Amino acid sequence: MIATFFLMALLQIKVPDAAQFVGQPQGTPLSGPQLERKTMEISSELRCPVCQGLAIGDSPSIMAANMKAQVRELLQRGYTEPQILSYFEKSYGQFVLLKPKFQGVNALVWVLPILVLAIGFVLVVSKAKKLETAPVAAPPEEPIDDPYLARVRDLVEKP
Amino acid sequence: MNRSVLIIGLIIVAAIVVVLFAGLGKDPQHIDSPLIGKPAPPFALKSVNTGETIDLESLRGKPVIVNFWATWCVPCYEEHPTLVANARQLPNVQFIGVVFNDSEDKINQFLAARGSAYPTLLDANGKTAIAYGVGGVPETYFINPAGTIVAKFEGPLSTEQLQANLEKALR
Repeated sequence: MIATFFLMALLQIKVPDAAQFVGQPQGTPLSGPQLERKTMEISSELRCPVCQGLAIGDSPSIMAANMKAQVRELLQRGYTEPQILSYFEKSYGQFVLLKPKFQGVNALVWVLPILVLAIGFVLVVSKAKKLETAPVAAPPEEPIDDPYLARVRDLVEKP
Repeated sequence: MNRSVLIIGLIIVAAIVVVLFAGLGKDPQHIDSPLIGKPAPPFALKSVNTGETIDLESLRGKPVIVNFWATWCVPCYEEHPTLVANARQLPNVQFIGVVFNDSEDKINQFLAARGSAYPTLLDANGKTAIAYGVGGVPETYFINPAGTIVAKFEGPLSTEQLQANLEKALR
């Protein structure tokens, strides 16, 4: 990382920096297995922009590899998970977040399934209660036109 | 059937149909850029053609068209002649090509074979592309003279599309 920095300074190369988007790092710089674990964790929360619904951690695309490398670099510099997610969100919008935020229209994603389940539960319970309490009405006596049936009934009902 | 159950069912089915129609008609690769109306992320990258470093901030005062592309991108071959022709016709507009995940040799071969009319910069690790929210190539950003991104176009540009978006940068 230090060699890259000096090479960039030598060539006067400047790439957009996370500090311009989300300010200075607010966490502690990570390294070793902790860095790898956190990189994988954040990579599973970011959507690969060139794939169909894949996280950057699961995608073999070059773009996903670049994004993952940037996640690792930001963690090494001490950026926190919310800062890193916010950095990518500022470039790609909420599209890049695999777990949509609980705000605006996106809140429906969280609320609607629970709401539908609750409505369904209430409907089933109320229906079940009605079935339980309603007296079973005796079937109305129908006049028997069939002479055979009338004869059978006479035979059965006569003492 | 119970009338209220039928009505609730119809409402649910109608909602699903509306969501499907709205969603399936969209390009799944399309990303609405949150950067429209915001300052263009600054960068200074080395030009593959000339070797000099081009700093975006030094281009304030004139409209800038930043085209992200790569030699491995097939639609970029189709788009390149349009960009070169328009760059030659519009000297007051600064065209910039930004290539990511590519090699200088391949870029130089591409430009030698197909012509060049503006600086082509190398974004070696794709950080500039990420900061611009590039989802695929080609992708073009239109920046007004004040340095604000006014439009984003995904896919190969035609002259009409290029000029329509450039209009926004000139307003």
